[in-house]
Amino acid sequence: MEKKLLEIFNTVLTNRSKEAIKGLTPNMHLRNDIGFDSLDLAELTVRIEAEFDIDIFEDGIINTVNEVFDKLER
Amino acid sequence: MSDKYFYIDCQRGLKVEFNKLIDDVNESSTYSKYCLTHDYYQIFKNIIVSLLIDKPIYLLDYDFSTEEINQLTGIDIKNQSLQSIAIKEVNNIDDLIKRIKKVQKWRVFLFTSGTTGVPKKISHNFSSITRMVKVTEKHANDVWGFAYNPTHMAGMQVFFQALLNKNTIVRLFGLSKDEIIKSIANEKVTHISATPTFYRLLLPVEQQITSVKRVTSGGEKLDVNIANKLRVAFVNAKILNVYASTEAGTIFASEGEIFSINQIHENLIKIVNEELYIKADLLGNSDNYKLEGDWYATGDLVEIISESPLKFRFSSRKNEMINVGGYKVNPYEVEDALLSIESISNALVYSKKNSVLGNIVCADIVCDNKSLSIPEISKILRTKIQEFKIPRIINFVTKVEQTRTGKKIRK
Repeated sequence: MEKKLLEIFNTVLTNRSKEAIKGLTPNMHLRNDIGFDSLDLAELTVRIEAEFDIDIFEDGIINTVNEVFDKLER
Repeated sequence: MSDKYFYIDCQRGLKVEFNKLIDDVNESSTYSKYCLTHDYYQIFKNIIVSLLIDKPIYLLDYDFSTEEINQLTGIDIKNQSLQSIAIKEVNNIDDLIKRIKKVQKWRVFLFTSGTTGVPKKISHNFSSITRMVKVTEKHANDVWGFAYNPTHMAGMQVFFQALLNKNTIVRLFGLSKDEIIKSIANEKVTHISATPTFYRLLLPVEQQITSVKRVTSGGEKLDVNIANKLRVAFVNAKILNVYASTEAGTIFASEGEIFSINQIHENLIKIVNEELYIKADLLGNSDNYKLEGDWYATGDLVEIISESPLKFRFSSRKNEMINVGGYKVNPYEVEDALLSIESISNALVYSKKNSVLGNIVCADIVCDNKSLSIPEISKILRTKIQEFKIPRIINFVTKVEQTRTGKKIRK
């Protein structure tokens, strides 16, 4: 799952001409560390939902990679 | 008044007192009618200067490309000329307000996504843009959380509501969630007006926010889920839902999703075939309006709850504009931008529901150049249209589905 998520994160980043990241760690902040803005988060949720069938922002905004893992493992 | 702040921006470490604003205005020696800057304080100052010299001002989005600006205004923004001006010295904020209220020729020009192609130009004079501003003693100590883009209609309305009441403006737009919460708490913000998307990105908040007395939502449909969460987060606030447009500004408000029209407004709106019409008198100026007699068809569809008194709720849009976090995107404009790329022979732009921004822009494209990548397409689009209009999901397809009459099928 982590490998697939990293791939999705990097698709969103590179589509915006932002630099790809090498790996995901649980405490990474989606905005502050990875550099996602609201447009990126909107795209991220669509791509994650297409892959895992879960809308990670359905109940409000989450902030860290760990929270994404939590949503997907639930 | 001497120690009261006009503008606070935690990201830029800026705290500008009213006296400093007056000094900066008095020291202004040049003017350009085209305002293009990402610095909100400069935008506000430029508007005030234009008011004092009673000359028009065009508010341009900072992410407009040079090409777009040229298309919209006919000018080359990089080589625009500045005009020398001499402002008769402003003594204090009361003097400033007194003088700006006397303007006669001043107009502000804003750009909004048009229904037929490129953004359309809308202009307002002082009285139309301040129509909903309420200046009373009661508002003297309001502190405004500024949560809109300052170059758009809603931002302008908040700016004038705050300025004319001599209220402090605290920047919230474009900040991170932590910065927003900190700014609201530190500066004891009492009023926030924003889009549901702004609130969606702010929620949930870890601790209740007590200073805010009024939370206004507009620009998109406020869903019940967000409204309920807002009530929990802003424990002392009245939650208000407003219907507003760039064409007319704020028209009416409700406390829930059902709008109740009072007698004063009854003759200013009508509903025909479920579509909301507003009286032409309420509109700013533009060549792009298609009026039906004295009425302007808003394209917003409503569901009538009761006829007398008139109560309704918004159901959907009649036209195909995509609302991305309160910003309207015209799919035809995006398709034009895609089709201007040589190897793209056909394109269909459509919206997909989204839990972050309400809707997201998607595109199916027929592309003859197999080596053209999505990042490359996005990069080209960035030179042609604003970031929020760029499709976030692009699919390569062999053909765009069409109806039998040759029209594209929108999803």
